[in-house]
Amino acid sequence: MKVIKESLAGTLESSDLLVKVAPSDKGSLDIAIQSEVIKQFGKQIERVVTDTLNKLSITEGSFVIEDKGALDCVIRARVQAAVLRATGSEDMDWRKLS
Amino acid sequence: MKLRRSMLFVPGDNAAALSTAFVYQPDSIMFDLEDAVSPREKDSARLLVFQALQHPAYHEIETVVRINELNTEFGLKDLEAAVRGGAQIVRLPKTDTAEEIHELEAHVARIEKACGRSAGGTRLMAAIESASGVVNAVAIATASPRMVAIALAGFDYLVDMHTRRSGGSEPELFYARAAVLHAARAAHIDAFDVVYGDVNDDEGFLREVAIAKGLGFDGKSLIHPKQVELLHRAYAPTPEELEHAKRVLAAAEAAHRNGLGVVALDGKMIDPPVLEEAEMVLERAEAA
Amino acid sequence: MIAKDDFYTVQPKDVPPEMGEIRKLLATNELELDEQIEVFVVCRREGRLVACAGLDHYTIKCVAVAEDARGESLSLELGSEVIKLAAERGHFHLFLYTPSHNQQWFRGWGFHRLVEVPHFIVLMENSPIAIKQYCESLREQRPPGKKIAGIVLNANPFTLGHQYLVEKAAAECDWLHVFAVREDASLFSYPDRFALVESGVKHVANLTLHHGSDYIISRATFPGYFLKEKEIVDHSWAAIDLLLFRQYIAPALGITHRFVGTEPFDAVTNRYNADMKYWLQAASPTPPIEVVEVPRASVHGVPISASLVRRLLAQQDFSAIKELVPATTLQFLENKYSAHLSATR
Repeated sequence: MKVIKESLAGTLESSDLLVKVAPSDKGSLDIAIQSEVIKQFGKQIERVVTDTLNKLSITEGSFVIEDKGALDCVIRARVQAAVLRATGSEDMDWRKLS
Repeated sequence: MKLRRSMLFVPGDNAAALSTAFVYQPDSIMFDLEDAVSPREKDSARLLVFQALQHPAYHEIETVVRINELNTEFGLKDLEAAVRGGAQIVRLPKTDTAEEIHELEAHVARIEKACGRSAGGTRLMAAIESASGVVNAVAIATASPRMVAIALAGFDYLVDMHTRRSGGSEPELFYARAAVLHAARAAHIDAFDVVYGDVNDDEGFLREVAIAKGLGFDGKSLIHPKQVELLHRAYAPTPEELEHAKRVLAAAEAAHRNGLGVVALDGKMIDPPVLEEAEMVLERAEAA
Repeated sequence: MIAKDDFYTVQPKDVPPEMGEIRKLLATNELELDEQIEVFVVCRREGRLVACAGLDHYTIKCVAVAEDARGESLSLELGSEVIKLAAERGHFHLFLYTPSHNQQWFRGWGFHRLVEVPHFIVLMENSPIAIKQYCESLREQRPPGKKIAGIVLNANPFTLGHQYLVEKAAAECDWLHVFAVREDASLFSYPDRFALVESGVKHVANLTLHHGSDYIISRATFPGYFLKEKEIVDHSWAAIDLLLFRQYIAPALGITHRFVGTEPFDAVTNRYNADMKYWLQAASPTPPIEVVEVPRASVHGVPISASLVRRLLAQQDFSAIKELVPATTLQFLENKYSAHLSATR
């Protein structure tokens, strides 16, 4: 799947996260994570995000994430939703989402 | 036997609610992809529910997903998420006919096969939200061996009936409640009473719970966590009821040990339904 | 069912009854209603308007929450709603204006400070890295040299006056960077304006032409520039655009001088030039940029201006226009505008 347009998923509310995606003009994958618990969980959040993107075969794009203390499953869901919206895909391959 | 007193509604697009709902320990949790979620957010909520279903915290609680109707652009996708995510029950809103259950069942079977989930593992429940649903309740409740419950959804039903809730004894809901109850009993499945919308009115809530319990409803659809405990307490047997139930079960025990085919207590015969009820009372007592 | 906060949107142009409440709410937060806001997200709680956030294209402004409703998740919900609204309208890279003392609040919305007019107003954007990425892409085009010039042109359309300014700056410096204002709010579309600039500066060897961006005279950085009625805009608006230029864009390209034409006709741009000297040259931690004001090229004693060309175009006076624009611009105007008219005769 390829990121072809900008998209947004999630909210700023507690236990959630806001994921903003944009196509990359450099052909690279950039992930910027902001979180109040960046020290304790920054690495963990990054791991979940990159893992989710890998499974979706996303290798390019600019991802800006504002985390509000979300559980891993919420992070996965919001990243997947943002990617789906950014790739304009209608059909999901559910096997890539677990 | 599975106790189904409380079915807590959790909006499918609310990350905070999905992350914490299990804390309230309702008998069942219903992730809502239908009325609680705006059309623009259906895709994101679907993924949230799909992921939440697989969270370990929800392995201990019965999970239900209310999908959108199958004739919408969302319904089938919701169903994929629900079945593949491992939901134990799929709740079909606005069920009007048995055919709708058959249709749902066929899709569920197809998806179970596609994702390797054990055939028949996903249960179904129907929500009756219209006059048609009420008059077809028995057919709906018996439409499939997967059916485990039938619920009355008061708000939409009353709109369909050109009336509204009146408070008090509410004759406008009587027929529908009775129909749903009878359908549930005929099909040997659980019956759920309507949602009580005013979360600030505990007394009103408890009054309605008393009515529903008195009629025989197994449980109620809830929209706020605090209603869970209130409901469980209301459904807890009185000490007398508990005492009686224990005696019934003890008598059954004794009869079984002595190889007797008939159970008797205080000179009266104990039928299987009475036995079942005693077991239910014990369960409710233990869970309260 | 459950009583909860009700979020919905209103558009000022519809003159909804909410505007009165919005003004009051803004006033208690020491804010004035910004007339360029296209849509407001408002929150009604128990009949009362307790929060609002305005959207002007891709810039969020006029955010206010009633004092008794603060410190709760209301602000985050408001933020989510206005960000989602902007996304629905096709805007994902967002900017936000706030009085300085409120900027911490918007960190929670995922916004990061770009520039600040000290103790007054702050411009923020919803990314921790966007401006850095932009500057990096500029830096890749950084040429050698000590005296590097910068010019920002709207060029609506590109005239001999613009060309003169460009040639002068290029002659006096090692290299010249020209930026075309990208915002599509002029008579001529951005693609057309850019094409005219491109053909009009082709002959200048030591020049790089850059596409405009959200960071240079855009609706975000200099909203006053795009007002329909060109009133005198508050001093602070120009400051934001100029501080961005000084703190980010100029350093990325090594720009030491900014060239501008004197502005006798347009009050807003004239004021902007004056502000430019203040904000680019005044003492501050970042290196100053020298502002070079070049007297406008004139024809028959009249300074050449794009607005004059547009007026002549309306009168179809191509012989007069010919004296004011390069051949490439004239060709474009004749092809696009006189042919059109003769086709409708």
